[in-house]
Amino acid sequence: MMKLSDITKVYGKGSLEVPVLHGIDLTIEDGEFVAIMGPSGSGKSTLMNIIGFLDYPSSGTYELNGEQIASAKESILAKLRNEHVGFVFQQFFMFPRDNAIKNVASPLVYAGVSRRERTARAKNLLEKVGLGDRMKHLPNQLSGGQKQRVAIARALVNNPTILLADEPTGALDSKTSEQIMKLFTQLNEEGKTVIIVTHEEEIAAYAKRIITIKDGRITEDRRVSS
Amino acid sequence: MNIWDSFKIALSSIWNHKIRSMLTMLGIIIGVAAVIIIVAIGQGTKKQMTDELFSTDKNAIDIYYEYIPPEGETEVFWQEPELTSEDIETLAEVPGVKAVVATNQGWGMMTHEDEQGEMQITGVGAEFFRARDIQVVEGRALYAADNDGLNRVVLIDTIAREKFFKETENPIGEIIDLNDNPYKVVGVYESPLPEQFRNKETGEMLMPRTVISMMFGNREIEQLQVIASDPENISETGRLAADTLTVEKGLENGQYSTNDFEDYEKELNTMISLLTLLIGSIAGISLLVGGIGVMNIMLVSVTERTREIGLRKAIGATRSKILLQFLIESITLTSLGGLIGIGLAAVGSILVSEFSPITASVSPLIVLIGVSFSALIGIIFGLLPANKASKLSPIEALRYE
Repeated sequence: MMKLSDITKVYGKGSLEVPVLHGIDLTIEDGEFVAIMGPSGSGKSTLMNIIGFLDYPSSGTYELNGEQIASAKESILAKLRNEHVGFVFQQFFMFPRDNAIKNVASPLVYAGVSRRERTARAKNLLEKVGLGDRMKHLPNQLSGGQKQRVAIARALVNNPTILLADEPTGALDSKTSEQIMKLFTQLNEEGKTVIIVTHEEEIAAYAKRIITIKDGRITEDRRVSS
Repeated sequence: MNIWDSFKIALSSIWNHKIRSMLTMLGIIIGVAAVIIIVAIGQGTKKQMTDELFSTDKNAIDIYYEYIPPEGETEVFWQEPELTSEDIETLAEVPGVKAVVATNQGWGMMTHEDEQGEMQITGVGAEFFRARDIQVVEGRALYAADNDGLNRVVLIDTIAREKFFKETENPIGEIIDLNDNPYKVVGVYESPLPEQFRNKETGEMLMPRTVISMMFGNREIEQLQVIASDPENISETGRLAADTLTVEKGLENGQYSTNDFEDYEKELNTMISLLTLLIGSIAGISLLVGGIGVMNIMLVSVTERTREIGLRKAIGATRSKILLQFLIESITLTSLGGLIGIGLAAVGSILVSEFSPITASVSPLIVLIGVSFSALIGIIFGLLPANKASKLSPIEALRYE
């Protein structure tokens, strides 16, 4: 469970200060499927970065499973990024010279997992996301949808509790988007907490809870009963 | 993530930018190769000069008389004290002295049958053969009795034997003519002199020094040399022997001294060290420039790979792991450059040895120093870029276009 209380984020300093988030209060339980919506510039990506330990809030508290981490050391955040969350980005972000297996296994390098097990886990997950026949392919030999599957496999490889996706379908056509979103739905059903940042209604519709942000404030938080 | 993983990432990144890496390494390659070749040539030159200076005998030291005029006087004519067999016995008992070589010199026209030739004659004692390790190949060496009894006997060296006698002829017992006086040949010896110092025309001969003194009017002992049992203490032993002799002879206006080879050697070392230092510092500057090149390219690499760094951080790389990765990359780059430089230096040394009289040799120590030094350059000049990489904020790095 993660609990954000009165989180603010201000970029810049002095007269150049740009407040991005104003007092966000948000609790997300394990196993939820949340969509964070809002127009561009609303602060939704900033919120996701804070949730995903990529950025520090300017003020407020962040409690993860009962522990305060809002001002934790960088090395602790790095460990949390490695163990607790998996990221999926709009631009996929692959290591261009590594094949699918190595890309998927990359977080395990930092987790200190042996080479043999890294490869085994990566292969297993590539099978799971339907890329069993693309394991040795380099990123530039994969389509956008396939790259995003590799990214999802990579996000899952260290068995995190939370999957964070920032516009995961932003660079994909609607048919591929549907496949990716079905994959997220399936993963949520298997018990992962899934948090997706999007500005598309159709994508948000897959989630069970939709949070809308505008000008750095939560304007709507509704649960969707399926 | 262990060092090996970092090393592999580093190697592949170097390999992916072959030309750039090669050009970056060039400064290090040239610097290391220059340092090693120069040190190798320096050591080779030093070895050669030392060998030349001390070619005859490493543990022999000359003792000579030095006249010291009484205060206020500048006397031009002075007499060197006579040395006798007793003095030599005294010297032989000085601690550290293994043997004493006392000789005198003469020249003579040797005639045997139709052959004639000018010969250098060295007057020696029986101890000479052991002290100088003279190999008698035919006949016998000189005995103490030859000196005491003024026996007119000679040993000729192998060159003279070849010139004056037929191969089938037995020279032992033959009478030869030297300055119109008859002498009996008792032995043939192998000259102990290095090849280039031998008299290849006529050869040389040995004779009891008392006989030379009598026949040529020389003093019995003209050259005095002490052989130390421990070459390490040669200068000390020489000084002790010289002082003993000075006291023994009760000299007032003179003393016995030694040529201190240590001083020569020290001077030579200082000169070569200075030269090595000078050229070494030029090579050091080249390494510095090479290091700056490495830093420059590493900074470019960090900027180019900002997104990669962001991604690595997003998947859990800590600052220290990013720092380590880039440090290892720059260390790999410079060490590789160092290794190539050493290879180049080895080839260069072989060429120098082949085409010049200097024997340049690359010592394992200098190779070790070369590699460690280039690795050190990698650390020093990689630190700034690696630090820059490690401090990148993950989201900003990921957003970097």
